[in-house]
Amino acid sequence: MGLIQREIEKQGIPTIAISIVRRFTEEVKAPRSVFLRWPLGHPLGEPGRTDQQMTVLKSAFKALEEISTPGTIIDLPYRWKRYEDMEL
Amino acid sequence: MSRLKNILLAKLITRFPKLLDRFVEKTPPVRVEGIPWTPVKKPVNDCSVALVTTAGVHLKTQKPFDMTDPLGDPSYRELPADTPEELYTITHDYYDHTDADRDLNIVFPIDRLKEMAEEGLIGSLAKTNYGFMGHIDGRHIETLVQKTAPEVAGKLKAQSIDAVLLTPG
Repeated sequence: MGLIQREIEKQGIPTIAISIVRRFTEEVKAPRSVFLRWPLGHPLGEPGRTDQQMTVLKSAFKALEEISTPGTIIDLPYRWKRYEDMEL
Repeated sequence: MSRLKNILLAKLITRFPKLLDRFVEKTPPVRVEGIPWTPVKKPVNDCSVALVTTAGVHLKTQKPFDMTDPLGDPSYRELPADTPEELYTITHDYYDHTDADRDLNIVFPIDRLKEMAEEGLIGSLAKTNYGFMGHIDGRHIETLVQKTAPEVAGKLKAQSIDAVLLTPG
């Protein structure tokens, strides 16, 4: 994912990625990312939980606006299935 | 037979995060130089946003990603935003997409982005989004970096996209 992200950014479009494998994101030096330690196949959470999906998306777009250092990975404070973290 | 092995392994890795850690440790590193950077020029609520996923999402009418090549498939599929939900499918043996098959939005949040556009949280959603299959190795990495990824970047430019959100599988 990071390699594709880099090519898009190179051609002049800002990007934000949702990462669930931190090492891969660090290694390919992705321009901007938010990280969640969530299972593979669940970057936006559980099926049917639109509230989770929306929370992750809002966090990602906030990071897109706020990150000013290339290569920054923001660790989102949401633990898997710990709804109190998201105040849902 | 090897497809079945991949699917079973993907199920285990998805279920047990410790196994994922071990799998990640064993994956050889990809080396890159520098960090490409384009500053964000306008607020997100004014941006035309495109979605690019590596979760193996494509339309049922399109050719599935190649699951027989152990090095993966570096090609991509164009995903029109007005695609009816039932036309999407996922071809990707390297993660367990049972949950994503039930709700595509957990890997490809197309409905949520449409809602965000309606609510004015983003400017608009791209007319065409893009699907890759994220398990790419060996010589296909070169194809991805030199051909298919720059091609998609060019198509996003041609659509006057202001920001891209990338999601994995």
